[in-house]
Parts: sequence; C-alpha cells; structure tokens
Amino acid sequence: MKKLGLGLYAALTAALLAWGFYQAIYVAPDEQTMHEVQRIFYYHVPSAMTAFLFFAISLAGSIGFLALRRDHPQRAQVADAWAVAGAEVGVVFCTVVLITGPMWGRRAWGIWWTWDARLTTTLVLWLLYVSYLLLRRFAAGPQMQTLAAVLGVFAALDVPIVYMSTRWWRTQHPAPVFGGGPDSGIKDPAMLHAFVWNIAAWLAWGLLILVLRYRLERQHQQLIARQAQAALEEI
Amino acid sequence: MDQRAILDHQFTVAAYAVTWAIQLGYLLWLGFKWRAQRSEMSRTARSPR
Repeated sequence: MKKLGLGLYAALTAALLAWGFYQAIYVAPDEQTMHEVQRIFYYHVPSAMTAFLFFAISLAGSIGFLALRRDHPQRAQVADAWAVAGAEVGVVFCTVVLITGPMWGRRAWGIWWTWDARLTTTLVLWLLYVSYLLLRRFAAGPQMQTLAAVLGVFAALDVPIVYMSTRWWRTQHPAPVFGGGPDSGIKDPAMLHAFVWNIAAWLAWGLLILVLRYRLERQHQQLIARQAQAALEEI
Repeated sequence: MDQRAILDHQFTVAAYAVTWAIQLGYLLWLGFKWRAQRSEMSRTARSPR
C-alpha cells in the first residue's frame, strides 16, 4: 500500500514537472528586457524556495534531536534523520540555485558572478550546509550527531539573512517575487501561472526525494544499530 | 535569429539541462546508496553470531 502511494505520488510529480516545463517554455511570454533567458527564473526561484523550506526542516530536526537525545533516544534518531535529509536535499536545490543564477547573470548583467550580498550569503549558506554534510560523513564517535545538530542550527541562521539581504543591503539581485514591494513581483498572469506551477512541481519533487533520503537514513541507523549489537554479542 | 537570441536560447537550455542533471543524478545516487545499504543489511542479518 505504501509502495502504491509512493508510486502514485511519483507519477503525479512527474506530471506536474512536465506541465511546469510546458508552461515555462511554451506558454509564458518572453519578458520585455531579458527575453528568453528570463525563463531560467522558472527553475531558479522555485529551487531557492524549496532549498529554504528544506533547510527549515533540517533546523527543526536538529532542534528536535538536541531536545530529545537524552530522554527519548528513539525519537531523537527520527529527528536526526529529518535533519540530515533536509540538509542534503536542501544542498541539492541550493546547488541548482548557485549554478542557474550565474547563467542568468551572465546574460542579464554581463558577468557570471559578483560579490553582491544576496549571492555571497547564498554561497555562504551552501558552504555551511556542505560542511554540515562533511562533518556527518567524516566525524566519528558518539558526539557526531550532537555536533552536527549544533552546526545545523547555526547554519540555518543564514537563511533569513539570505532572504533579507536584498532589503538590508544595496544589491544587484532582483527583489523577491512575493513581498518585495510595489515594483517587484510578476505582473503578467501567464508568467505568474508558469511560476506557480513550477513552484508546485519542484516542491512536489523535493518532497519525494526528501522522503526517500529520510528512509535511507532510517535504514542506515538500523544498520548501525544492528552492527553495534552484533559487535556486543561477539564480546 | 540574431546572435543575442541564439545565446539567450543556449543559456536557457543549458540552465534547464543542468537542473535536470543535478536532480536526476542525485536520485540515481540515492538509488545506488539504497541498494548498497540493502545488501549490507542482508549481510549483517546472515552473519553468524
């Protein structure tokens, strides 16, 4: 039953992605100043939104692990699995943002990269979460999960800084689509539809791989527990 | 099609292709990791105690 549900959800996600692609490439009109290259925005912005959401899930998991690790170790493991899944899938989406953004920038601004506040804080965010994943990969010992959870909480502090960077500092980056002031946002309904469909599609895809990554981590925890049990029985 | 439009088109195609390559590559990596972990699980279950 679970497998059927996952299969149906995957099929729905594939349909949403195909529909989002069709809307972005064939339905939405060309933007007046940036022309075709503006269509990168339909993948770039939903990826950034999804990355932020998953970093928030990772933050909740890290806080949950720190709160539960002494009194409810089993529940703390569940929280830790969500934390690592959120961080890893968030890094995947953030990587898409950091690659598609400069591609757009090369055509719109004439440069691949500038040390603008939005771009720099996003790169720092990516580096923080990559260091979180490296810590989990290479550190050993009973304190690893606790150290990773603390780093996960600190890394998440950069998310609101990234979001607010276009308001706090003078930046080249366009203002946010939602809540960016009267001059920002999408005016054309066809462009707005393409944007909203792509948010839904990438969010659905992200949730699918997030759940798969969570299940993989739970399986990994079971494997570690079994190996530890077997080692104890050998003594 | 002028030069600018051709370059715009190429950059857009490249951005979409890179997005799909990263996402599908990650899904593939998850699949490999899942399979490796499953075989490790069955090996641990089979090992004599």
